[in-house]
Amino acid sequence: MIYLDYSATTPVSLEVLETMNRTTKEFIGNANSLNALGIKSKELLNSATKQIADLFSVLENEITYTSSATESNNMALIGVAMANFKKGKHIIVSKLEHPSIYAICDYLSSIGFEISYVNNDAEGLIDFDNLKSLIRPDTILVSVCAVNSEVGIRQPLKLIRQIIKKENSGTLLHSDMTQAIGKTSVTLHDVDLASISSHKIYGPKGIALLYKSNQVSIKPLIYGSGKSNELKPGTPALPLIAGFSKALRLSQADLEKKEKYISLLNDRLCKKFSSLPDVQINKTKYSIPHILNVSLLNIKPETFIHAMDSEGIYLSTNTACSSGELSSGVMAIFNDVKRSTHTIRISLSSQTTSEEITRFLEAFDKNYHMLNSLVVKD
Amino acid sequence: MEKVIIIKYGELSTKSDNIDFFLKTLKDNVRNKLLGIEHEIKYDRGRMIVYTDNIPEAMEKIKLVFGIHEICIGYQYQDKDFALIKENVLRLIKNISFATFKVVAKRSDKNYPGTSIEIAKEIGSHILKGLANKKVIMDNPDLIINVEIRLNDVLIYFNGERGLGGYPVSTLGKGLLMLSGGIDSPVAGYLAIKRGVRIEAIYFDSPPHTSPMALKKVENLARILSKYNGEVRLHVINFTKIQEEIIKNIPNYYLITIMRRMMYQISAILASNINAHIIINGESIGQVASQTLKSMQVINEAIKMPVIRPVCTYDKLEIIDVAKKIGTYETSIEPFEDCCTIFVPDHPVIHPDFKLVKEYESLVDFKTLIYEAIKNRKVIKINEYEEKNYDDLL
Repeated sequence: MIYLDYSATTPVSLEVLETMNRTTKEFIGNANSLNALGIKSKELLNSATKQIADLFSVLENEITYTSSATESNNMALIGVAMANFKKGKHIIVSKLEHPSIYAICDYLSSIGFEISYVNNDAEGLIDFDNLKSLIRPDTILVSVCAVNSEVGIRQPLKLIRQIIKKENSGTLLHSDMTQAIGKTSVTLHDVDLASISSHKIYGPKGIALLYKSNQVSIKPLIYGSGKSNELKPGTPALPLIAGFSKALRLSQADLEKKEKYISLLNDRLCKKFSSLPDVQINKTKYSIPHILNVSLLNIKPETFIHAMDSEGIYLSTNTACSSGELSSGVMAIFNDVKRSTHTIRISLSSQTTSEEITRFLEAFDKNYHMLNSLVVKD
Repeated sequence: MEKVIIIKYGELSTKSDNIDFFLKTLKDNVRNKLLGIEHEIKYDRGRMIVYTDNIPEAMEKIKLVFGIHEICIGYQYQDKDFALIKENVLRLIKNISFATFKVVAKRSDKNYPGTSIEIAKEIGSHILKGLANKKVIMDNPDLIINVEIRLNDVLIYFNGERGLGGYPVSTLGKGLLMLSGGIDSPVAGYLAIKRGVRIEAIYFDSPPHTSPMALKKVENLARILSKYNGEVRLHVINFTKIQEEIIKNIPNYYLITIMRRMMYQISAILASNINAHIIINGESIGQVASQTLKSMQVINEAIKMPVIRPVCTYDKLEIIDVAKKIGTYETSIEPFEDCCTIFVPDHPVIHPDFKLVKEYESLVDFKTLIYEAIKNRKVIKINEYEEKNYDDLL
């Protein structure tokens, strides 16, 4: 098997799995209970959270666990909207967001919020002038993902924040950092709120977090009696949280070294793709090397994915969460419908071997030539 | 030239007879604080100099050491040629942005030509010649340029940072801090540490009436104090039996008075045992019934050892200010009750009577219970860096 869909999800690392196993077996108490087992669980919960807080130099109480980055995005956007609607009902998002952001915006729009979509330039970066012109006194939130999931564009969040705060110091900045964490270094102090997921960094599925600066208050989406966190009441999912904390720690090691290695793999792929006439590489100088998006102009992406599947090689069309549709990220940058409807995404990991790339390229070559020749050209 | 950290001493300069002891202790404290950072320390009666490749991290740590008046990042030169000194100053300040400055010169090498004032003046005029648009002012200049010509070297440094002051921890001996989970006692501990007292701490645990989380909270407070004190030995006294005997046998309006007297007695015995000269606590005049002057008198009568109450004249808000500054406040306000607050009568006596106290105390064999409690105490060694819980798991 050659797995090249690491941006969709990653296999759980064995060390993380061991942590989850042990936590499940040895920490049976409810972290909200007063008894000794509960206190033991609470201590582990606190240690796990402290480890995460220390990794990002934030405070423990600025972290709320959720079930997914999608939930974190909901908590952030709807939470800010509900807490601030008296101040304003205007929200700005980029055109390079994860589909969940657009779904939330659709909902907010249906209940009276106004959503603006900020342009990006040809390299995929947020168009700063456009952003400036969109910010109004009633703009309560801007949401820009740290790294786009389809084309891998990394946004300069610090600069974006400066621009926003200069125009309206009360406007908050949220960033979905799901594709950035473990791939590139991020600074939570660049934003007011951030969504981070576990299953993209070799951690378990079903756990994520929302970072919310203590300077910001938002409305909870759900209500309950748990004492751990007012935004997410209920019994903390300790085995998942411990696994997540461990995965995050491991993910932050040797970031630069890993990125350099992945760049080499990416270069090899690009060299091959650029030699093929009907392949376009959807990448700009701001793309991170972990995500490589290409358009096979004469081949239906699903067909290609299935052909590769049958050889035990696993890729995506575009983001796993919007498979089958037009790639909005590619469209936003390259403004070409054909290019945007023919994308495949190869996502790489530091675990990807050179041998895997060789075998992938052989299979790619074979299937590409086979399917490309079947297309009736107009 | 070497980039170094320069430490200026605080009140130590007044300790003429035993200054060497103070300085050696300060050096040991700085060295302990820098554990894990490669460094070398040299000192004389004028300055302490720390050599390390990791100046920013070392600075942060040294800032928490008592007995330091000012900490500066500076440059040490072996060559004392005056022309060279002037050039070095000019070179160092070229990249600093400032409009106004003054030069402060110090000449501890008394054979060096010129007075301090002459040296300062000449360096100042060299700067004015070398850099455009700079002005000398004496009050609040942007940049203070310090040049110290010493016996074997020259130090050049700029605006320093204030140290914590006080005396090096340990130089004044040891004290036992009665540490509860509240706001006051950690502040009292900090203030005593500041005056050179090394502390150990005593905590009265009363399970099952108090929660294990209350003990955890006290451990966390001791950990914060250990940043200033070095390792804190926390003596955990199981106070349950004594407290239950008091509740069963003593009229309730005297509960607190007798309870505090028991705590004092245990503390005094333990203090002598660990060679502490004083007891320190967080009592503040008038704050609660046991802290009226009469109450304090009657409670204090239980022991002979001196009790130092660093915050006794502080208002609550003043205590909170210090607690916030030293980082104990957030932990202190966690909602876990300690043994002083679990059994509080509605109307505790505020003018306790000696005779009654003696009479009530004779109702129970407290002496046996006191020695038993001390014998069975648990000692926890607490360091700045928490042994990370579940490190292997996470």
